Amino acid sequence: MKKVAVIGGGPAGMQAALSLVQMGLAPVIVECSSALGGKLKDWHQLFPSMTPAHEVLDELTGQIADAGVEVMLHTEVEGVTGQGVTLAGGRKLEADAVVVASGFDIFDARLKEEYGYHIYDNVFTTVDVERMLNKGAVALHDGSAPRRIAFVHCVGSRDEKVNQKHCSKVCCITGVKQAMEMRTLFPEAEIFNFYMDIRMFGPGYEEMYQSAQQDYGINFIRGRVSEASPTIDGRLQIKAEDTLVGRPMKMTVDMLVLLVGMKAGGSNAKFSAALPGGGITLSSSGFVAPVDLFAGNVSSGLEGVFYAGTVSAPKTIGESIDEGAMAALRVAEYLKGRK
Amino acid sequence: MEMTFYSGFVIPFIVGTSVLFAVILYKYVRWMARLPRRDKLLVWRRMFSVATLKGLWECFTECLLHRRIWRVNPLLGYMHTAFALGWFLLIVVGWVETVAYLGWRFVPLQGHIFFDYFTQGMDHGPRWGIDFELIMDILLLYVLSGLALAVFKRFRSRSLGMKRTTRLTLGDRTAMGALWFVFPMRLLAESFPSQLPLWWGYSIALGVFFVAMPFSRYMHIFTEIPLIFLRRWGIRSEAGREKSFDHFQLEACSRCGVCIDPCQLQRDAGFWNVQSAYFIRDRRYNNLTRYVADNCLLCGRCQRSCPVGLELDTLRLGSRWTLSGAPSNGRFNYARGVDLSSGAAGSGDRRVGYFAGCMTLLSPRILRAMERIFDAAGEPVWWADRDGGVCCGRPLKLSGDLDAARDMMRMNTELFRNHCITMLVTSCPICLRVFREDYRLDTGVDGPKIEVLHHSEYFARLIAEGRLTLKEVGSQLFTYHDPCELGRGCGIYDAPREIIAAVGSLVEPTETRSKALCCGSSLANTAINDIAQVRMAQTVGRDFEATGAATLVTACPLCKKALARGTSLPVQDLAEIIEHHLA
Ligand SMILES: Cc1cc2nc3c(=O)[nH]c(=O)nc-3n(C[C@H](O)[C@H](O)[C@H](O)COP(=O)(O)OP(=O)(O)OC[C@H]3O[C@@H](n4cnc5c(N)ncnc54)[C@H](O)[C@@H]3O)c2cc1C
Ligand code: SF4
Repeated sequence: MKKVAVIGGGPAGMQAALSLVQMGLAPVIVECSSALGGKLKDWHQLFPSMTPAHEVLDELTGQIADAGVEVMLHTEVEGVTGQGVTLAGGRKLEADAVVVASGFDIFDARLKEEYGYHIYDNVFTTVDVERMLNKGAVALHDGSAPRRIAFVHCVGSRDEKVNQKHCSKVCCITGVKQAMEMRTLFPEAEIFNFYMDIRMFGPGYEEMYQSAQQDYGINFIRGRVSEASPTIDGRLQIKAEDTLVGRPMKMTVDMLVLLVGMKAGGSNAKFSAALPGGGITLSSSGFVAPVDLFAGNVSSGLEGVFYAGTVSAPKTIGESIDEGAMAALRVAEYLKGRK
Repeated sequence: MEMTFYSGFVIPFIVGTSVLFAVILYKYVRWMARLPRRDKLLVWRRMFSVATLKGLWECFTECLLHRRIWRVNPLLGYMHTAFALGWFLLIVVGWVETVAYLGWRFVPLQGHIFFDYFTQGMDHGPRWGIDFELIMDILLLYVLSGLALAVFKRFRSRSLGMKRTTRLTLGDRTAMGALWFVFPMRLLAESFPSQLPLWWGYSIALGVFFVAMPFSRYMHIFTEIPLIFLRRWGIRSEAGREKSFDHFQLEACSRCGVCIDPCQLQRDAGFWNVQSAYFIRDRRYNNLTRYVADNCLLCGRCQRSCPVGLELDTLRLGSRWTLSGAPSNGRFNYARGVDLSSGAAGSGDRRVGYFAGCMTLLSPRILRAMERIFDAAGEPVWWADRDGGVCCGRPLKLSGDLDAARDMMRMNTELFRNHCITMLVTSCPICLRVFREDYRLDTGVDGPKIEVLHHSEYFARLIAEGRLTLKEVGSQLFTYHDPCELGRGCGIYDAPREIIAAVGSLVEPTETRSKALCCGSSLANTAINDIAQVRMAQTVGRDFEATGAATLVTACPLCKKALARGTSLPVQDLAEIIEHHLA
């Protein structure tokens, strides 16, 4: 049976492995962390349907177990070729083809120092909020309930100053989702979202956005927040420009939530063609570049190497899973032509 | 012996010389006449002072010996000295030679220049015990050795230790071509004085060179002289307008290209044709585009290396002002709605004002550190930014919008005066520079004196006065980045180093102090994007990483942000370092 190395055990990697099994091939998932699931492990409920994340996760991991897919945990991939991958420590894992599904990284909000992440106690990221939701412990640093919450869109996305020009795509809808969750938790609180554009690209998203405004009483203000600073009573003052009114504004809030963007995965640079020995091509954003964005959207241009999921651009879980299946199909086509 | 000193071949030389002096005279008289009254008065006042003597000496060391070029690049220095000193001595010794052989009598210019032709058949043996022939031959050889280097440099600039050399204009090409012929033709003609065609060749080469010269970069040969004197007399270019004095600077540029190598835009980001030599060329020939004027970090690295001492940054600012079009005041009313009166009452007892500046406001770690340090030192502080302070104005000035910048300056000054501060501390070298250069706070001219300090100077003072005690936290290895505006801009190099030495040890990168590299994200460059900025930051970052230091320290909030994008080292402001070591 032909062997296929799948780098990364997130939604994309898991689906790729499952589809490869269906095609009669032998996938090996190489995952550097201690468990399968990728970012999905950390999420609470998924937009747009508010499906509990563990339902989707359990379904995928269950299928992986049932299919008896070989999984190597705690194993990091350091290099990629069409003949296999190099593991940390220099060991080679030979394979007839490779699916790169190593995903994305979360933008480090400390780089936008002006928002005070890790400087002021009550500045959080969306990732923190998912974790707090999972623990059932959403609160301010001192354990109290926030009276006013502001979400800041596009933190580490669409921002030349931190070298992230792309739109991360899923943060707008995540902001809407979390604002609604906050409303459910804190019915009395005032909730604001500061945005540049609202990008509601998926089915049901626009409806969710409307409901957030009409049914959940969430305020959307068009304008970028420029900075946050502490007030004497330990709250946070944010400065922004309301671009619809055309006026600068200040607002004091208890909790600031940064909608951190999806950054190119840290592994990509290690796999890059720019390195001696060659590798795969990266786009200027640092994400891997498929040969084209149509029928070749999971092909790397390097023989035997295919992509799936957010390794090539920000995507939702559904889209990542689609690509997993697609990559498996392309692998099968590729291997069919070979002895 | 009766001599006419005339032959047909001298015509090209005579014509060339006449054109040369007519054009030069026209230019200089015009530029001088257009100097503003204030400058003219300065000239009159200082003309008969030691400044003039110093100028004479500088003409000798710079226009003839080219000491500053020697310092940057000895081979290039040799080339310049060989041409300048060699040619100068040829003229002087040639004149003495005429006197020695022909006695005291009037000899027209061409008689000196073509001496060997007109004195054929005369005994050229030593006179007064001096072998003029030999001296003149040696001098000519000296010039020719410089010429050989010049030709070599044209084809292989690297051999003279320069990675780049400038490209030529038509005037340059003509003059240079002619110049290459002048000395070899002279050698030939003087070796075979009876060969008339050789004399024709020599004369034509000279004539063409002289006609092309005022329109080429060789104009620097003469123009450096008035420039040196005018500068000694205190005349300067201005950031807020193009001045007639600028012409002296523009035409004193030899386009030697020394400014190109240190330019990081060229070295690390691949931008070409925007460096000072090109900027000056474009401005001189009226080809300057907004792009070239704007594509400069104004880091001051090239200005530091310019052997002619041109005010490159100021000249560029002047052009930005001109190119920015009509005064934009009112286009954006930056100051709308700012209330200067608020908080004025009751804060008169506070003497120290702190001006964070926008970049520090975007770096709350520095802000928090400042707060804790003021606390630790027991200094009650008035926070200008929280109390009506507006932008310092330097970004506007750098982009050529001087009117709006002046608005900001007026407002801040009024605010500082309202709050009766006696000392102004800022964490931002960009603000510091404009406070020191444009605000005139410490002159006492329009109100009580306000001393302006960068936070590094202020900390050094606190430590010296024993108001701040620092503790060692392990033995830490730091490296330090000199911000352009703080180092080359305000001359502050030691205070930050003293502070680092007080809490750990310092390792310097290869290029440091006045040679320090720019972080790449200078506010002054509005033409490049972040990709180029990051590329520069990465090169600088590698330099710092090579020092082996654990932490990169800087003293500018903008540099801090910029460098963090280019290095894996943690980047901290001086204030954060101190905060961390507060006892
Ligand atoms: C705050 C937030 C909330 C979100 N909420 C939703 C939501 O509600 N609904 C939705 O559809 N989408 C949501 N998303 C998007 C979703 O997280 C992604 O679409 C999904 O995680 C992408 O899956 P992936 O497999 O491509 O990558 P990842 O989930 O990033 O998985 C990649 C895996 O590869 C492993 N890996 C990386 N490099 C290596 C290496 N060198 N060697 C071995 N293993 C490696 C990693 O450990 C990881 O397990 C959200 C995103 C964010 C940021
Ligand atoms: S999805 Fe929305 S918040 Fe995220 S980067 Fe795009 S526009 Fe900004």
